[in-house]
Amino acid sequence: MLTKEDDPNYVEPWLEGCKNAGISAKEISVMEALELEPNLAKDIVRVFRVPDSCVDGFRLCSHNKMSATRYGAKVFFYHQVTGINQKNGKVRSVSVKNAMTGETFDIGCRYLINAAGSWAGEVAALAGLHASITPDRGTLIGFNHRFTSRVINRLHASGDGDIFVPHGSITILGTTSVPTDRPDDTRPTYEEVAELLTLGEPLFPLTREYRILRAFAGTRPLYTPGGASGRKATRNFSVVDHSKDGLEGMVSVFGGKLTTYRLMAERVTDDVCKHLGVDEPCRTAEEPLVPEPKPEMLEKAKKYFPLHAISLMAARLGDELPKVLEKAELAGNNEARATGTHITDYAGNPLLCECELVSTVEVDCVASDPDSHSLTDVRLRTRLGMGTCQGAFCSLRTIGSLAEHGIELKYPPTENVFRFLQERWKGLRPVMWGLQAREMEMGRAMYIGLLNLDGAMNEQEN
Amino acid sequence: MSRKTDVVIAGSGPAGLMAAYMAARKNCKVRVISEGMGCLAIGGGYVDLLGYSEAGKRVEKPFEALKNLSESHPYSIIGDENIRKSLADLCECLKNQGLEMAPAKDADGAERNSLVPTILGTLKPTWLVPADLEGDIFEKAQKILVVSVQGFRDCKPALIISQLRRYASWKDKEFDPLVIPGPFAEHGRALNALDLARAAEREEGRKWLSQNLGNRGKNHDLVLMPPLCGSHAASTLRREMRNIIGCPIFEMLAVPPAVLGLRLRDAFLRELWKMDVEFFENSRVLRANVKDGQCVSVVAEASGREIEHVAKTFVVATGGTLSGGTILEQGKAREGIFGLDIKVPENVDDWTKPELLGDHIVTRLGVKVDGNMQALDENGKPCLENVYFAGRTLGGYVWTREKSGLGVAYASGWLAGRLAAEKVLGTGAAI
Amino acid sequence: MKVRINPDKCIACTTCVAHCPVARVTPKFLGPRMIGPAYERFRLLALAEDESLTYCANCKNCDITCPQGVPVSSINMLARAEQARKQGTTLRDWVLAHGELQAKLLQIIPASLKNFGMLNPVTRYVLDQLGIDKRAPLPAFAKKTFRQAFKKIDQGSHSRKVVFFPGCYVDVYDPQTGLDMVWAFNKAGYEVISPDEFGCCGLPMIANGFWEDGKKRANNNLAELAKWREQGITVVTGCPSCALIFRDDIPEFYPELVEKHGLGRLEDAQDFLMECVERGELDLGGIRNDTEQPIVYHAPCHLRAQGNGLPGMELLKRLPGIKPVNANAGCCGISGSYGFKKEKYDIAQEVGSELFDIVRKNPCKYASSECGTCRVQIEHGSGKKAIHPVSILRMRMEGKTDPVVDEL
Repeated sequence: MLTKEDDPNYVEPWLEGCKNAGISAKEISVMEALELEPNLAKDIVRVFRVPDSCVDGFRLCSHNKMSATRYGAKVFFYHQVTGINQKNGKVRSVSVKNAMTGETFDIGCRYLINAAGSWAGEVAALAGLHASITPDRGTLIGFNHRFTSRVINRLHASGDGDIFVPHGSITILGTTSVPTDRPDDTRPTYEEVAELLTLGEPLFPLTREYRILRAFAGTRPLYTPGGASGRKATRNFSVVDHSKDGLEGMVSVFGGKLTTYRLMAERVTDDVCKHLGVDEPCRTAEEPLVPEPKPEMLEKAKKYFPLHAISLMAARLGDELPKVLEKAELAGNNEARATGTHITDYAGNPLLCECELVSTVEVDCVASDPDSHSLTDVRLRTRLGMGTCQGAFCSLRTIGSLAEHGIELKYPPTENVFRFLQERWKGLRPVMWGLQAREMEMGRAMYIGLLNLDGAMNEQEN
Repeated sequence: MSRKTDVVIAGSGPAGLMAAYMAARKNCKVRVISEGMGCLAIGGGYVDLLGYSEAGKRVEKPFEALKNLSESHPYSIIGDENIRKSLADLCECLKNQGLEMAPAKDADGAERNSLVPTILGTLKPTWLVPADLEGDIFEKAQKILVVSVQGFRDCKPALIISQLRRYASWKDKEFDPLVIPGPFAEHGRALNALDLARAAEREEGRKWLSQNLGNRGKNHDLVLMPPLCGSHAASTLRREMRNIIGCPIFEMLAVPPAVLGLRLRDAFLRELWKMDVEFFENSRVLRANVKDGQCVSVVAEASGREIEHVAKTFVVATGGTLSGGTILEQGKAREGIFGLDIKVPENVDDWTKPELLGDHIVTRLGVKVDGNMQALDENGKPCLENVYFAGRTLGGYVWTREKSGLGVAYASGWLAGRLAAEKVLGTGAAI
Repeated sequence: MKVRINPDKCIACTTCVAHCPVARVTPKFLGPRMIGPAYERFRLLALAEDESLTYCANCKNCDITCPQGVPVSSINMLARAEQARKQGTTLRDWVLAHGELQAKLLQIIPASLKNFGMLNPVTRYVLDQLGIDKRAPLPAFAKKTFRQAFKKIDQGSHSRKVVFFPGCYVDVYDPQTGLDMVWAFNKAGYEVISPDEFGCCGLPMIANGFWEDGKKRANNNLAELAKWREQGITVVTGCPSCALIFRDDIPEFYPELVEKHGLGRLEDAQDFLMECVERGELDLGGIRNDTEQPIVYHAPCHLRAQGNGLPGMELLKRLPGIKPVNANAGCCGISGSYGFKKEKYDIAQEVGSELFDIVRKNPCKYASSECGTCRVQIEHGSGKKAIHPVSILRMRMEGKTDPVVDEL
């Protein structure tokens, strides 16, 4: 979208760039654009349709793990690499520490790939290498509902706050770019939020009226060997074979963007495979991470899950859909037996999270995974607590349901709920006004005012 | 259009209803204007007075602790004597409708907070509990039956038992879980506490409850259950069940829809109906017409148009941030009807601490008042002569942390309603 | 459909769930919060609609009770229209939505024959098969429509004027209430105008998913209302639902029509009469005494939703010889045509049971309510006759204890 505030002279070079890159860019009338996206500003100047898409970052991570596991990989979540052990100029093993238990151990390897993103510089340092990685914080805003069905970009030289992305049930506005010295500097600030809203308004005039769910931030692993920073630093990536630094058996991938992450993976594995003597061609560009759910499975799911929820759940669960369906069937049959009725609706499998339609068996299944230690882990896989009420109702329900089913997490219930709400709090702080402030008050009323969570934190024994 | 009345009350939460009750008892013509149903469907049910000091220390005897509150705390402004009177009138109002509540007493008769279980299995200090509950029941009970209903998501005995055991005073007790089948033959949406409470009120519901609990309480000293013994103030179900199963029953504090809170609301509405209080529902008070420090009228939104309400005095009980009584905007805060400015830092990040349980500016925002519940201007002078503020519109306290929400609401509503009525009577006869 | 009311104001507090009369009596309805704002977020993802949407009665208690101002019922009605557009509508719903049209088609047939045609056991059996419950209290066609009767009235001469919007219930089934209304306005010194151009307000169509039909009605009515607005003459109605739809629903659902014709205002006739009383134009006469006639008053949900208090009840309170008591029993259950539907009949009866009980137990001979179908439901549920507050006003002012019946 070229808005009133954008430079019209940018259009021609941009079109030229699209053409050179082989990306189609077709101009449509403003009227047609408003027909497609009625919430857009009426005063936009020019509109071009380009192929675009969006990914669910949470789902992507868990599906990646599923895919890798299917091919024999072992994935260690919550493990920190504490040392890279070398012998005779060659990497032999890495030392890791389990962040949950404190346990340390070594993992032997023929080859080490450093793909630690913003931490890639720190990992390289463990091997005595230097890499210029400048973490760069990007803050985004999540809105309560989906007011656009398409990705909407401002047509100008890439800058802050110029993209709205429909993401499942919500809309995301991004992104800022602020250099930082810590890879884990993921605290969004009010200043950035305020700036994003100002930048978003020319595209969606009601930007400030829409309810903000929360703000969140991540860091980009900018690779800055030349010393550039911020928007000026390249978003390109580099595969660095450290044999040039005198260390055999280690390759790093620096920089890059999520958009190109599978290309990065392809390049780096091709490189490693050469060393390992594997000449199988890389298939990541053609192969889905998880298979499409079978239609008969979706049909069967109708008996155990609310209609709205099925496609979303199936998309989240990937490889684990059959397991969840089986559990749901069992729960439904048990309920029918216990109550002497036939299975109707989704008996035995009530929704725990009504804002994001997450059901009991899905939560059970994810919580039983050895990689799930907290309610937050369950959230990352299910979207539990990520909707309108930001965990006000579902934290209690989930903690109760898990207790009932004998599924234990690392933390006792009070602390688990507290940690969950603390995590939500982080994203609420910089957006504490308007409609979301009201929601925040309700969450506080329920957990602190009514259920005395704060008192219990001090008064219960572990 | 405009039709006149004596006292207009904006808001129908606990503070608004209490103010209406007090003003109507003084024979004023009272009109309650409300956008929704207030917060009683959301929380509460037992009446908290003060559970923790401002420093976060647990309080056993609230009336002793009230003395130590800071000067700007609403309780300090209202004063002990008024708080006591307001609680007495509250208890009388509830009793008129069959809901008897009282504070627990020590062996020597001194009134104190009760530490009552919630459905999260936590304990919470509260002041008014059912009057028939033995004061030392939670200390004495050794064998406890924790009851819930099949398919009821908000209350799980396994959670409650594991949680209660983590309190030193509860860990040596014996617990038994009991999940009884649901009351409905047909399946449908997941049940909430209110569905169950309403089901239990019917004849077949009584049967359902008594049959399922009948002989299960015999060997226990106490039954803990979610609030499902009826949705009305006058419901006698809990006492009936106590007689049937032969041991005391305590309904745990539960998440919305809050059955216990709705019982309080039910009692107040019925009292107010008796006194012919007018209700303008689904109407948000937008602004006020003020002349020479006097509020002449308020203008309320009524289904796409505006209606002017002229009255002699006004009570503002529109709640805090949750209900729009306090309006938060980017870097700004104000009271919702008169636009009274509430000072906040410009940077929203400074409104809160990073720790969820920290002391946040945003949770104590509100209108500053004097002992007449009248708003003070920047110079500390009352600025609206016939307007009285009550409930969460007030600043200077953190009800969530202190567990003082309903206490402040009722005490301030009581005082505001009384003062509003006295002003009407003082300036001439009621309409 | 372009109109989208967003779900942002909902904080999931469940106050609407606690006050929804349908959710109270059946677990088949997911409740206003889920079906309204919660599912709306997924409707925007174009996912499948939930069956239980049809259980929303559009009584608007969710809107009345919501502390956050979420337009829950509007979200539901828009979703229903979308569902109707995708899945089609039933003949039954068409019949219930288009009572006005049926009346027009049957105009040449005498009422007795029409009613024989509509209400005889054979027809009721057929309607039952269609999905209109055979127990439902379908109202009978009046001998003459209000419009026919109105034209024969000699109003005398009055200096002031008021326009009366009868609404289809009064026009087709209950002309007496309309005649009482004319009588009362005449007494207050107003000549009543009731233009033929006014049609059904469109609510039955919207509530049954006939979006475009509702729009046509709105267009005609708004055009007519604009005429009177220009002349500065107030338009009133005795029906709360008709008033509500012009205030709330039409501007929300058909903003393009409001742009074209301006806002259409229907004032509450009872409110108007109260003002006449206050201005001294209408003298209610008489003095209060000990033998006042008890009347149970029921406040229609669509009146409570207007934020204007209960002017009808205020009128009754001012009326010497009448001792009104507000039932305060919530929804009567009928919600327009909802309670006529076979799968909803029992729900509607259960919803209204507390009200019926209060009316039955009260020593009153008559109940009173502004809404026509509320009155039908009260009569069906309690066995006592229910009449409009303005009919009670006329009854008392003419010194009677039973409602006046005009020759049609």
